[in-house]
Amino acid sequence: MLYNIRLHLHYDYARSAAAGRHHVRVMPQTLPGVQRVIASSLSFEPASAERSEFMDFFSNSVTSIVYRNPHETLDVTMTARVNVTRPPLMFDVSPDIAGLKKEIRSVWSIAADAPHHFLTSSKHAAIDPDITAYAALSLANTKTVTEAVNDLNRRIYSDFKYDGDATDVRTNARQAFDLKAGVCQDFSHVMIAGLRGLGIPAGYVSGFLRTIPAPGKVRLEGADAMHAWVRAWCGREAGWLEFDPTNNMAASNDHITIGCGRDYADVSPIVGVLKTSGSQEGKQSVDVIPLE
Amino acid sequence: MSQVNKAKTRSIAGLLAGYTPLPGVADEMVDAAGALRPGWGKLLGSLDEIGPEKLATRFARANQYLLDAGVFYRVYDENGTQERQWPLAHIPLLINEQDWSTITAGLTERADLLEDIVADIYGEGKLVRDGVLPPDLIASNPEFLHPVAGIKPAGGRFLHFCAFELGRAPNGQWWVLGDRTQAPSGAGFALENRVATTRALSDISASMNVHRLAGFFKDFRDSMQSLIIDPQARAAILTPGPNNETYFEHAYIARYLGFMLLEGEDLTVAKGRVMVRTVSGLKPIDVLWRRMDAAYMDPLELKSDSWIGTPGMVGALRRRTVSLVNALGSGILETRALLAFLPAISKALHERDLALPSIATWWCGQEKERKHVMDRLDQMMVGPALSTRLPFEDVRATVLGSKLDPEARSQLLERLQNDGRGLVGQEAVKLSTTPVYVDGKLEPRPFVLRVFAARHKDGWSFMPGGFARVGFTLDTAAIAMQRGGQAADVWVTSKGPVAKDTLLPREDDLFQRNVPGTLPARAAENLLWMGRYIERAEGTARILRACHARFAEAPNQELPLLTEMRDYLKPLGVDLDQAIPKGLQRSIDGAMLSAGRIRDRFSPDGWLALHDLSKTVHRFSDVVTPGDDATRAMTIILRKLAGFSGLVHENMYRFTGWRFLEIGRRIERGIQMASVLARLARHDAAEGSLEMLLEIGDSVMTHRRQYSVYSGRISVLDLLALDPLNPRSIIFQLDALKTEFGLLPVREGGRGAVTSMQTFSKDVLRLHTQLAISEAGELTPETLHKVAFDIGALADAISDTYFA
Repeated sequence: MLYNIRLHLHYDYARSAAAGRHHVRVMPQTLPGVQRVIASSLSFEPASAERSEFMDFFSNSVTSIVYRNPHETLDVTMTARVNVTRPPLMFDVSPDIAGLKKEIRSVWSIAADAPHHFLTSSKHAAIDPDITAYAALSLANTKTVTEAVNDLNRRIYSDFKYDGDATDVRTNARQAFDLKAGVCQDFSHVMIAGLRGLGIPAGYVSGFLRTIPAPGKVRLEGADAMHAWVRAWCGREAGWLEFDPTNNMAASNDHITIGCGRDYADVSPIVGVLKTSGSQEGKQSVDVIPLE
Repeated sequence: MSQVNKAKTRSIAGLLAGYTPLPGVADEMVDAAGALRPGWGKLLGSLDEIGPEKLATRFARANQYLLDAGVFYRVYDENGTQERQWPLAHIPLLINEQDWSTITAGLTERADLLEDIVADIYGEGKLVRDGVLPPDLIASNPEFLHPVAGIKPAGGRFLHFCAFELGRAPNGQWWVLGDRTQAPSGAGFALENRVATTRALSDISASMNVHRLAGFFKDFRDSMQSLIIDPQARAAILTPGPNNETYFEHAYIARYLGFMLLEGEDLTVAKGRVMVRTVSGLKPIDVLWRRMDAAYMDPLELKSDSWIGTPGMVGALRRRTVSLVNALGSGILETRALLAFLPAISKALHERDLALPSIATWWCGQEKERKHVMDRLDQMMVGPALSTRLPFEDVRATVLGSKLDPEARSQLLERLQNDGRGLVGQEAVKLSTTPVYVDGKLEPRPFVLRVFAARHKDGWSFMPGGFARVGFTLDTAAIAMQRGGQAADVWVTSKGPVAKDTLLPREDDLFQRNVPGTLPARAAENLLWMGRYIERAEGTARILRACHARFAEAPNQELPLLTEMRDYLKPLGVDLDQAIPKGLQRSIDGAMLSAGRIRDRFSPDGWLALHDLSKTVHRFSDVVTPGDDATRAMTIILRKLAGFSGLVHENMYRFTGWRFLEIGRRIERGIQMASVLARLARHDAAEGSLEMLLEIGDSVMTHRRQYSVYSGRISVLDLLALDPLNPRSIIFQLDALKTEFGLLPVREGGRGAVTSMQTFSKDVLRLHTQLAISEAGELTPETLHKVAFDIGALADAISDTYFA
């Protein structure tokens, strides 16, 4: 599926920011076998005093910008043309949970995609006895790890209420779990914490989702949103599989990836200014326009 | 055999009498056969010769030195944080040269191994790939810093300064109990241990060929400087700030080595380079000896709630423009579970066994090792696998298997079975003992030796001795300073004369003057404020003394003058009804606080004087009563203030920092004098106002000599506002400010042409001229208020130019 994507982030500072330094993670990347970036651009208004790019530990592309003069607003605009061609889902080749634990131990690697980085608590997704107990029900109903992950994905979708006002960007898994409500970020954190509690390596994927307008309605400009979903390591054969608990589905050709990490903190679109901003929908507009 | 063999040691029975090493534990002074080890005979003989009385005097001298030098460390307890005097154990620990060379050879090998391990963990990952090191010990380790993985240190090496904690086994073998690679402390305290011990025992140490410590610091300083790439750039020490437990040491070492002492807010990253904000603009830093834990170094990429870091630091590392001592991420080498894998890693990387073994450690994530620990629980200390504390400093999380009650024991066994990956077992070691002096006798106490290593171009240089932590009791868990241990000097003794290293340049060394104009802006700001607070305290104390003297003369009637002064002082936060007003205490506290943040730029004498002043004021506040008592108290306070000012004025080198201090004083004095004149030199001022002004202005005698006995309004105004020879007059302050402003550095990158006069210089010139051409009769309260306001504006201009 070929898309034109446009992201616009806008920040208003209540008081003029004297200077600033930000890391921006909003650029989709080419992921062999999953998606290809044909063209992309990123611009800032006002123009930054310094700008540089680097790849972080999890191979996300980061743009670092520095401001030295006072500014009241910051506008980030990203445009990209991306072709997403995820392979069709294979039949289930994952082991059971005991088998998975053995397989994890057989991976002698600390590379960024090694499961070991995704097993313990992180800032937004700490292992929690209650969330683990909740997740454990999905183990009881299923045989393989992939089935269990799928089941948890479905249960979060049905047990949690989508509510953009219930949480904000700082909400962690436990808080969202108590609320049984939140947005894609919260659904994903709860699922990640639950999977880690069971010993299943789990990470956070940030990106975009194509939304299909209701029949007879036109697509509204800027109505799409940034999105987040979950990836889980389902054994050596199956590797990392991606699930979207907000929509009760596996990641599809409608999911365009920006990057991944242990949780939101590793891939937040911008760090350095978001500290005091409100809810995550804040002032962003996203257009995901299919070209086919 | 634990009883000392009296036959062999009869000649030095004195201090040795009754010294009984513990059974089954090695002792540093007495060997298993009861004979004294090399060197101790001479030490004990000398101590006996001195005799208990003189010894007590000598040890008191050592303590007094530490007190005078202001050596303290901070402890944290339920009452918050407190400064404690450094607890010196007066008897040095002796290590002979042969033992010492065994230790340093083993540690050289170990330091090289640690370097290879950390380079691999953050680089190739071969140790994990080859199955030598379990991946989860790295990936789930809080000391594994993902953002710096893959970054090669600018100078090529991760480790430049390490410490090792050593203990001696009952069989005499030295063990490494832990490696300190994050930001090891203690090197400065070791120096102070040495100086203090030498105060007490200089004659003995001179005769025993004790290796000197200075050579080590010289090597380390040279090696830090060798990491500088840009000749314009500097090396500096980065401290978390005055609240850190070892801040004293940071300031001390900075002074000793001649490096700037910086805090995170002194630094900024521009175009990928770390820069220090100085009063002359941004200056590059190539090398930072960081005394803060890595996670706090950069809120942008590491701990996001760190207030003491520098945003962009990791970005600078990524560009390889700055060397950190040690590299970020090196703390992972302190992980306790790593000790279990060192033997295998040594074989894998260096194809040999470790010459100096670690304390036996088993990671319970492996089946065989877990079983070993569970089967021998009585001989084990069990604690968190990823802990970076030494087992005996970690009483909360680390337990002794033999001390558990049956219930705790079965709980631990269950935890080991279920969560073995999170735990390590370590052999419960019996540390060897060394003598301490208790009530005129020697008694054995367990100790840990801390050995410092610094990298130089060909390998590692070791501080020969200096630092052992000794328990106050026989409990090995109480060695940690935080829990009440003491510190002893360590003498590495040689058979022949030792090299006399010093940090002073040798005669044939090239003369090198430091690059001027590198005063950090924060230090300048603190100096200025210290000057202001000291002057504010002095001005307040002068007024208070004058008031209380009058109150003492007429305690029962409310003089209009005193009412006047009560009103004057109130908006300044000073309550005339309190003998020692809170406002006065606040000024002194403010001076202390500012001085505390720049201790590296402050002489120990100056610090002591200020400390003494603060103690005095706080003590007075509880006991002094208004009137005569308060008058006398103010005289004492003023004398102490004069003492402090004298120290600063007579002894402080006129570098840029001194100018900021002086500017602070002059500005404050100018404002105070203008304000008090505006109040008391009015036409309608209360009776006695002019006499009081002369007293406040310390000008009674001068006025009498120059004018007449009668204090006229005009003559007083002339003397206190316009007389350029009176050091308390307003114009005198403006004169001084004019001079100092002209000598301030020009900020690079500032606005305006470099050659043109800075705005504040123009302002002070204008103000000075205005006042100089004024007649005393023209100085109305309004004019004087305006003068005070304009002098205050000078402070703002300085602040905007240099501190913003």
